Amino acid sequence: MTIWLTPTLLCYGIAFVLFAIDFSSRIQRVTGYAIGALAAGTVFHALDLVSRGVQDGNIPVGNFPQALSFLAWITALAGLILIVRFRVAVIGVLVAPSVLIALGASGAMAGEAGKLPRALRSVWLPVHVTLAFAGEALFVLAATVSLVYLFQESRLKAHRPMLSGQGAMPSLEKLDRINYLLLGWGFVLLTLAILSGALWAQHTWGHFWSWEPRESWSLVTWLLYAGLLESRLTVGWRGRRAATLTIFVFAVLVGSFVGVSLLYPGKHGGTFG
Amino acid sequence: MTQSLLITGVNHRTAAVEIRERLAFGDDELVPALARLKLVAPSVSEAALISTCNRVEMIAVAGEPEAAAKELIGFLAAERHVEPSLFADCVYRLDGREAARHLFRVATSLDSMVIGEPQILGQLKDAYMRAAEAETVGIVLHRAFHRAFSVAKKVRERTLIGHGTVSVSSAAVNLAKQIFDSFEKKTVLLMGAGEMAEITARQLMRLGVESLLITNRTFDRAVELARALSGTAVPFDNYRPYLKIADVVIGSVTASRPLLTREDFETILHERKYRPMFLIDLGVPRNFHQALNELDNVYLYNIDDLAAVTVDSREEREREAQKAETIVEVELESFWRWLSGLELVPTIKDIRANVERLREAELRRHRAWLAALPADQRAHIEALSRGIINKILHQILSELRRNNGVVEGIYAAEVARRLLGSELVSPAIKPARVRIDDEPED
Repeated sequence: MTIWLTPTLLCYGIAFVLFAIDFSSRIQRVTGYAIGALAAGTVFHALDLVSRGVQDGNIPVGNFPQALSFLAWITALAGLILIVRFRVAVIGVLVAPSVLIALGASGAMAGEAGKLPRALRSVWLPVHVTLAFAGEALFVLAATVSLVYLFQESRLKAHRPMLSGQGAMPSLEKLDRINYLLLGWGFVLLTLAILSGALWAQHTWGHFWSWEPRESWSLVTWLLYAGLLESRLTVGWRGRRAATLTIFVFAVLVGSFVGVSLLYPGKHGGTFG
Repeated sequence: MTQSLLITGVNHRTAAVEIRERLAFGDDELVPALARLKLVAPSVSEAALISTCNRVEMIAVAGEPEAAAKELIGFLAAERHVEPSLFADCVYRLDGREAARHLFRVATSLDSMVIGEPQILGQLKDAYMRAAEAETVGIVLHRAFHRAFSVAKKVRERTLIGHGTVSVSSAAVNLAKQIFDSFEKKTVLLMGAGEMAEITARQLMRLGVESLLITNRTFDRAVELARALSGTAVPFDNYRPYLKIADVVIGSVTASRPLLTREDFETILHERKYRPMFLIDLGVPRNFHQALNELDNVYLYNIDDLAAVTVDSREEREREAQKAETIVEVELESFWRWLSGLELVPTIKDIRANVERLREAELRRHRAWLAALPADQRAHIEALSRGIINKILHQILSELRRNNGVVEGIYAAEVARRLLGSELVSPAIKPARVRIDDEPED
């Protein structure tokens, strides 16, 4: 834990409140402030990660809480870019609290920062971990966008649309497109993460794949996301169906991330040895 | 005699549509009409003419509002070849602050038949442009219009006015925007040629829809409408293949039973790879079977559903209207302060007081050696200094008075006040206050 944790949590909290006000008032007027708070949060968060990274001498992912914090940061950053680039402030209502909770949990759990074993201390580590977490962050956002999609879609189906706020709710088509984009890029990153992991393993232990739980689950997730993208391209499973599946596959991903980290000690688990 | 704002004319509250129609001006008639107004209304120093289907109003700046109003109404009657007695009962007149308030309320659509309708602001901007073209706007109207536009902007930003939906057709358009992101590559299929369907199609076309297909039992009518809306007519007995490419389908066919059923659509949806479809059913009885709404990525709204969406926002609009009124009042106060500042009497007072202050300060500065003089010489010096400033002030102030009542006079007063008024001695000299081309920010 560093001195940057408190301001980070504070900024994420403020961002959440502002995004919520922005959404419920249905007149866009605090959007800029909400985005600013989220941006400030990611800056403080980055400082937190850097100062811990300097302590550890490598990317700070030594134990589960640290990994969670790093994932939260990438999610916040990607979410910020998404919100600004596609003008979907409503995503912030979900991203800000998710990041806040993840980081809060990480802070609460933070015990002894596990020193990375010598075997893992290599340039492969930041490459592999960043790719994997960036991919997962995009999947987090894809699930978030899908939730918004389902909300918006159910309002429209029920003939109770949210019309008043100008641009407060993004159109279904836009949400669906963003979802597709996130899944596509997330999939590319996940693929690269698996490949880099395999190469690293080959480099260090002399074998590409050892069927340890994280590896197996990554493969499962990879297959599920491949199927998700495939179904859209071939049979046109878009819209509500795509959103539901995105959330389902994401649930599997979360299950494997948390489950593997907590239940199975090992290279990818909480303790190293 | 000071210049004041005034508005006179008729609107939807005071005059029936038959009268409003006869008084209305075409867009291209405004500039020549205003040019003629300059000749026939000597009391009017600035003027603009707002003519929409709900109002024909003249906003003017004049020294004598009574005379000016008479000239304006006479002008209106002469221009439109209407007996003044025909509409005399419907004419209202608002002076000064009331006129400014009215202008702001018109701009914010608070005075419209339907609060929140978006057209009026554009119409007001047009009226201003035409008047500027005819060179009938001066410093006061420039400022008044610009302020009205900025009030409208504020109201739009801070309230829900103008965000809601005013009619079934715009409810449909708003819903389309909730479903589709852009309309560039979208196709609209218009089935039947009902009036509301046509209006809705028109509004959708304005969003940049790529193609519009029109089908109708009477093919000639479809062709005619296609020409008017730059669409393509499709024969009524063979429209089904086109459903595959249609993203929005507007139905307004008179038919005893639904034209399209769930089974029809399942194939269509599969063929279009489940890209979303928005079905707008304006037909009575319904054109599309209700069960279509249960299909994935199909959004069906019939006329009642659309009306329900409008009612919702109407209640909301009334609540928001109160907020808008408050904004208008605040802005009015600030505008009125500016306008009052232009009036000559306070300007002259201000200049006099300020120059007198300078004179006294100067005398005080020299009081040491003045005190040494005999009393009668001191009185002479006092009188001399007063004489000098009076001579200078006389020349300036009489020039201002001579010009009073014409637009140039207002400019002159503003300049004189900036050069000689109390702002001169205030610690920080303010930058130019009247940049009429800019939107005022104070």
